Amino acid sequence: MTMDKTILVVEDQDDLRLLIRLTLKQLGRVSAHADAREVIELVRTERPALLVLDVWLGAGLNGLDICRQLKAGAAGHVPKVLMLSACGQQSDVEAGMAAGADRYVVKPFSPESLVKAASYLLAA
Amino acid sequence: MPDTPPNDEAHRLQVLFNLDILDTPPEERFDRITRLASRLFNVPVALVSLVDADRQWFKSRHGLDVLQTHRSMSFCTHTIQQDEVMVVEDALRDVRFVDNPLVTGEPNIRFYAGSPLAAPDGSRVGTLCLIDRAPRAFSEEEAAALRDLAAIVANELAAVELNRALLIQRESEAGMHALIDYMPEGVLLLDAVGRILFVNPAAERIFQRSTADLLGQSAVTLLVNRDVRAMAPPGGLPNLQAIETLALRADGSQFPLEFTINRIMMGGERRVTAIVRDISKRRKLDDSNRATDERRRKYFATATHELRTPMASVLGFSELLLKRDFDPATGRELVEIIHRQASRLVALINQLLDLARIEAGGKESLDIRPLAASALIEQTLAGLVGLGDTARIQVTLANTLPPMLGDADKLQQALTNIVSNSIKYSAPGSPILLDVAPARRAGGPALAIRVRDQGIGMTPEQVAQVFDAFYRADNASTAPGSGLGMTIFKEIIELHGGTVELSSTPGSGTTITMVLPAGVST
Repeated sequence: MTMDKTILVVEDQDDLRLLIRLTLKQLGRVSAHADAREVIELVRTERPALLVLDVWLGAGLNGLDICRQLKAGAAGHVPKVLMLSACGQQSDVEAGMAAGADRYVVKPFSPESLVKAASYLLAA
Repeated sequence: MPDTPPNDEAHRLQVLFNLDILDTPPEERFDRITRLASRLFNVPVALVSLVDADRQWFKSRHGLDVLQTHRSMSFCTHTIQQDEVMVVEDALRDVRFVDNPLVTGEPNIRFYAGSPLAAPDGSRVGTLCLIDRAPRAFSEEEAAALRDLAAIVANELAAVELNRALLIQRESEAGMHALIDYMPEGVLLLDAVGRILFVNPAAERIFQRSTADLLGQSAVTLLVNRDVRAMAPPGGLPNLQAIETLALRADGSQFPLEFTINRIMMGGERRVTAIVRDISKRRKLDDSNRATDERRRKYFATATHELRTPMASVLGFSELLLKRDFDPATGRELVEIIHRQASRLVALINQLLDLARIEAGGKESLDIRPLAASALIEQTLAGLVGLGDTARIQVTLANTLPPMLGDADKLQQALTNIVSNSIKYSAPGSPILLDVAPARRAGGPALAIRVRDQGIGMTPEQVAQVFDAFYRADNASTAPGSGLGMTIFKEIIELHGGTVELSSTPGSGTTITMVLPAGVST
């Protein structure tokens, strides 16, 4: 297990941000942020191996758009993207995968399965 | 043999019956023939005799007072057995009639000549006959003349049927016209190249053009897209298949039209009937149903999202606690989070149910009674004490207020939702003004309740969405609430027949005014 990898988490719910941080800290350095407006800049500076991203980010931001931009190279570094969202309909999942997400995990989620999904992406 | 009815007697009787002439009053068109026959053949009696099942009945009788006689004594019964004229020159010398009561008694028939009357199908329904009280001879020429006269009578009989058929046709045509005139669908009759030959009133209404304006026009000029073939599959427009397109009214306005065409032959000419319907209303209904469906779908998606978010904390943290070891302080902190999020989940479910109940129950679910505004406000503020700092709420009541008409619990819930928002979104200690004044609404007495804060306020974009379900102006986890408070508030006020007005300026505060119907001041 490589402890040097950075996992960038963008989650505006305080409790969930804490939950994700506690869940994933065994996999690397977790950098968790509430404000989605800086995501692309954060990816540019922190160069995370994995980005955990919500779909509904508030402030008119959409995680799908951000995912698409990142996968198109908007930050000069392309992380693996794990969409973590409470939008759980089949069409939501398909939209996430179509936007370039590597995994789509629906809230509520089991921390254990989130660890599995994240470590799979980090190992790839 | 002549006394037994012929094999096709039943059919013959049916034909006679269908003529619908038995027992009808005398008619000049028959009487003039018997009159003529009497004079022409120089006989005292001439009859149009119809042979019914057990009688002969005289449609026309010249020189005879009797209306009918029993068939058993009828000469005509014999006549209708044959195509030819039947002549009895002297009944007393004819074994068939020598005992006949009409011969031995009144009218003392000695001479008889009858020519059968054929209905259009050939059935011999009666005779034109001549009677004399003295025996006489009847020449071939006379027989031929009687046959000719009988043929004229037969024509008149046929005319009965023809006239009736015409009348029925005329009536059914009148019925068809009335039907077409009052049909809600527009009906157009077109010639083979699509020119309008006929329109009904509904078509005039649909296109807002007069018949005069429409006749002779090419029907495709009524459509926005005149290329009718383009609407159809190869092979042309199918008969009787509804096609939707845009059509034009006289003023140039467009409307959705559904039409069905049918190609027919009419009087040897190729014609096209077109049935047209203005489907604007149906379209509007479809659109509104679609919008409602879309709103429901979005509401459902959002509600699910909002429920899953606190569930994620409850499920996630409880799994961590079960599977990992934490120091007691951290463990306790996580349990607190679970408890907080579970409470939030319950509150959200309650609010969802509240909203569903209010929307489903409608006005009937309200328990409307006269209420004093002062009592409502007092109870609302008492319920808000838990939020702290209620002392900064300054209440001003006008001196004389009409009683409110409303559901006390629901109005308290509505007021609680907006006052608690004012508390949440304004600095501690800043004043919140709550005043109540008489007002007018829809011409009746009303009451205006206004809540003003000096809080963070909202941008016009936020104001536009503030009553949407699950909308949260800050969208941050820090502000408690489900995003349903304002939706429920507005729903309750509108269910009471009231109105809501909201004005807000970022940085300087929000004012919400609700106007509710009131009773008359006492």
